[in-house]
Amino acid sequence: MLGFLTARQAGLDDPLRLRRAESTRRVLSLKLNPDRDVDRIHGNGINTIDIDVIEGRYMLSGGADGVIVIYDLENYSGKPEYTCKAICTVGRSNRHVHKFSVETVQWYPYDTGMFVSSSFDKTMKVWDTDTLKPAEVFEFEGNVYSHHLSPIARKHSLIAVGTKNPKIQLCDMKSGSCIQVLQGHRAEVLSVRWSPRYEYILASASADSKVRLWDVRRAAGSLFTLDQHNGDKSKASSEAVNTAHNGRVNGLCFTGDGLYLLTTGTDDRMRLWNSATGENTLVNYGKVCNESRKRLQFTVSRGCSPEFVFVPCGSSVAVYGLHTGELVTMLRGHYNNVDCCEFHPDYQELYTGGKDCNILAWVPVLRPSDVEEESDGANKGAAGQTSVNPAFQDAWSSDED
Amino acid sequence: MLQRIGMNRKRALILDTFNTKKRKNGTEKFGTVSEGDGPADIRSTLEYLMTLFPRKVFNDALPQIVLKHQLYSIHNDKTMVDRELNKLREQGELLMFQLGFDADAFGLVFASDYKAKVLAEQEGRDTQGTVQKFLDKVVAFCTELSFSKDKMLREFLFTDSEITQLVKSGVLTVRDAGSWWLSIPNSGKFTKYFIQGRKAVLNMVKKSKYGEVLKADLEERRTTAHVKFHMKYHIHDIVGAELVESIQTTSGILLRFVDS
Repeated sequence: MLGFLTARQAGLDDPLRLRRAESTRRVLSLKLNPDRDVDRIHGNGINTIDIDVIEGRYMLSGGADGVIVIYDLENYSGKPEYTCKAICTVGRSNRHVHKFSVETVQWYPYDTGMFVSSSFDKTMKVWDTDTLKPAEVFEFEGNVYSHHLSPIARKHSLIAVGTKNPKIQLCDMKSGSCIQVLQGHRAEVLSVRWSPRYEYILASASADSKVRLWDVRRAAGSLFTLDQHNGDKSKASSEAVNTAHNGRVNGLCFTGDGLYLLTTGTDDRMRLWNSATGENTLVNYGKVCNESRKRLQFTVSRGCSPEFVFVPCGSSVAVYGLHTGELVTMLRGHYNNVDCCEFHPDYQELYTGGKDCNILAWVPVLRPSDVEEESDGANKGAAGQTSVNPAFQDAWSSDED
Repeated sequence: MLQRIGMNRKRALILDTFNTKKRKNGTEKFGTVSEGDGPADIRSTLEYLMTLFPRKVFNDALPQIVLKHQLYSIHNDKTMVDRELNKLREQGELLMFQLGFDADAFGLVFASDYKAKVLAEQEGRDTQGTVQKFLDKVVAFCTELSFSKDKMLREFLFTDSEITQLVKSGVLTVRDAGSWWLSIPNSGKFTKYFIQGRKAVLNMVKKSKYGEVLKADLEERRTTAHVKFHMKYHIHDIVGAELVESIQTTSGILLRFVDS
């Protein structure tokens, strides 16, 4: 690390390189931190979490009882021990709460004044954060498994919705109705994701083992279907034409730059695809345990080199190297199945939620302070019990004021 | 001036820094570490695994078969193993077969072994000529696992009756109407004994106390009549297929049954 710092100082290295090296080091040292806690509000399992893109400060969580909670992740107390407090809740007492479990929640990508939630009660609600009342309700014929708003859309405000119905619906927030339907799948659509690179490209995963990529401007069907054998007819059994997995495909995640797409399926495999050509990069992650009948929310790190994939596997979270496929570590801490995980790119923290009603925060282990500083701290800190990092100590205000 | 120095300087990958760091500060490795770091020699691993294959059980009629996932139990990096295997296949040294009992189970045979055994078996039979032609024209150049009727007739110029002869001799197995898998003659017995043995070994692990057993212990155990292969062959198979979890402990490697 000192090598990186010196190179940055001398101008031999790009500043981004040092940032990436430090991010990677932090991700490699993720651990459960006894100081960091998240308020426990949910009475039932947590199905989905989302951290807002703009500030990275507020976290939404949706539970199996239909409850939605908003937490403040920022630590302004100055102490290392911190519990992320729940600011507000859409609880069972709220008139507009979802009747059944909430499957997906997502902040409006441009500000935290609005968020969208979809649930097994066949509705999707667009909420106003200040009043906690739905500004818009979209109704569907089947259970809604997943929805997604494009994080980069400027020219459209479409929400893609995957339901039990094989048709993907595109709902427009401006007009308040479903304006487009994408046909092509033969079974329920378990997950939909917009590309973070092109605002019109959408990927969808279905229980019919297929993953399709769509350009929503195109009237005729999908752009292409992902084929796990890359067109090599010799490897496939002859009936299985163009399937992405040998079972239901229940997880989709684009990498941060949108160049690669990761899919997980109930055949216990995870595959990495080139999102432009649809080619299977054939990175072998081994057996990625997957028994979920619904959408699996997994995530990819951002800003590290190389990137890591965090996949919930049973009651732990597996961390794989994105392009090498090797298992870096298993994060164990939950008491029951982990359903969702979300990566906070600014602090390199991972938040995971599961059936044990807990949201756990995995925080990079801080560097241990030097021996010299510790002995100094013992002399000075007779009054203060907790050892605060010297960088946060107030060294300039005087006692008289 | 600085720019020129920057371009000439050899740039280390960021992850390399952390890999060495991990090894220094990382947890101590308990038990014996079976594989070494550095550029792995897939070929020597293949040869080692081939020695575990029992030729006597099949009266030496079958070439030595190794399964692709057995290599995963020895080398950690699966993607690298896949890539090296593809390289060997491109060079024509290794042949891969779809064994049929599992979509993911691929069998590997050295090309020279395969040719020798097949020709030895065909000695004196009327199908010998066709099989020889098939081996020379198709197997030597093509790295495919299966062939369609179209391909056989047009690209390789085989006639219908020749294709029938090839199926009869066991070199091709019917896949569906108009396409065939490349196969090993008389491999039915291999598949049967293999599946039997795998079930028996898995049961041994499952029935042990707590569903786990030390690898060294398992290798010492007396095998029933169901297990025709070497115990190590089966252990590599179940570890590589991730049917058991392999855990490092202070007394060696522990195999724990994975409930799925």
